[in-house]
Amino acid sequence: MGSPPFFFEWASRLLPWLFPISFLILMIGLVWGIGFAPSDYKQGDVYRIIFVHVPSAILGQSIYLMMAIFGSICLIWRAKLAGMFLRSAAPLGASFTLIALISGAVWGKPTWGTWWVWDARLTSTLILFFLYVGIIGLYSSIDNKQRGDRAASLISVVGVIIVPIIKKSVDWWQTLHQPSTFSLTSSPSMTADMYLPLLICVIGFYFIFVSLLCNSLRAEILTRERNTGWVRKYLNNKASG
Amino acid sequence: MNNRNTLFFWFKLILKRDLALSFKKIATFLIPLVFFLIVISLFPLALGTENSFLSSLSPGVIWVAALLASLLAVESIFNEDFRDGTLDHFLLSGEPIFILVFAKVFAHWLVTGAPLLLASIISTFFLFLPGGLVLPLLVSLLIGTLLLSLLGAFGSALTIGKTAILSAVIVLPLSIPILILGVAIITSAINNQDYLSYLYFLGAMLAVGIPGLCLATVEAISINYD
Repeated sequence: MGSPPFFFEWASRLLPWLFPISFLILMIGLVWGIGFAPSDYKQGDVYRIIFVHVPSAILGQSIYLMMAIFGSICLIWRAKLAGMFLRSAAPLGASFTLIALISGAVWGKPTWGTWWVWDARLTSTLILFFLYVGIIGLYSSIDNKQRGDRAASLISVVGVIIVPIIKKSVDWWQTLHQPSTFSLTSSPSMTADMYLPLLICVIGFYFIFVSLLCNSLRAEILTRERNTGWVRKYLNNKASG
Repeated sequence: MNNRNTLFFWFKLILKRDLALSFKKIATFLIPLVFFLIVISLFPLALGTENSFLSSLSPGVIWVAALLASLLAVESIFNEDFRDGTLDHFLLSGEPIFILVFAKVFAHWLVTGAPLLLASIISTFFLFLPGGLVLPLLVSLLIGTLLLSLLGAFGSALTIGKTAILSAVIVLPLSIPILILGVAIITSAINNQDYLSYLYFLGAMLAVGIPGLCLATVEAISINYD
């Protein structure tokens, strides 16, 4: 699993299935959520942006956590693939966080009356976006790929330790945002016909993330290993066949 | 020379060397201080000079200026030693890098952080901060600048040989808790509330930050010498 050629094989076989399945799940979730779920008694139809906003916010946070996990793998075992994972995941995480910020602003305008509020959760999402940009800036400024991987790993591991402190300190402001939609310990606060499409959307977003990640990991592996025998063989086969 | 092998010997040696180098060049310890005062004086120029307005803004203004001044100065921690090869020699000597980082951070704080404490007293006159608040201001800045030096050393070790702006982009988001807590200490002192709980939290961050961030800095340096 850890060796790039093996992962490349595996990802190439999986991807033709992964993309259609992700689109299918996402379509079911979005069409159900936007077209058929009941409208909210207070917010009307505006709330439907939740089907984009919440999944992307969840993704933005969990990709950062994944990066820290793979970062520690990269630092401890020097696994090449973990470093490549970091490089492929960081732009995706930044994009999902940006989508969460923008969709949140679009949602905030009709419900709160402003595009932006300096509320705890908005602020920590913005800081998360800055952290992603810092990581991307760091590894792209280092020419040596392995060093770039390890520097990015280190900053994501240190960052994930500091992120809870950032969250806690930002929480000390008064919070205007509604409490989290999902909780593992308590039952959902919305009806099943709103909750289920949202859940499907979250799963669909995860699938899209995995497909995009596999895709860019393949590109990263090819670029990185372009001087090895197996890549040459692969490219020759591609060119002739 | 009998105590050559103790870590404290190395600590003293590096500290002495760094301090001697810094005080040879007036720029290293005077420029961050003047930068801090310039940033402070920009705010009245931009926002107007009404006393009560400025004094209500002053905790935030002083802290933001301290953050910028201490982070802009971190570039010098490792970059010069990296360029002239001193860092290579130290790593070749086989002594623990930890003690090098520790001494360098402390020297950096003595040269840039400690003068900031003095300058912050001057800035309270500029921004009309009531005199009774100097103590919470100084204590919060004392712990805060130490933490900022640690964070800055980590950022500059990650970006050795790169521009200072890159390490600022990496480190500034991480220093937000320090800013929030530091300002919270002064504002609760202004409102006659108990500020000790915030101070304890900042102190706890320093207690964890000294070993934690020094270790991270060691790792960041060794990435450059694979």
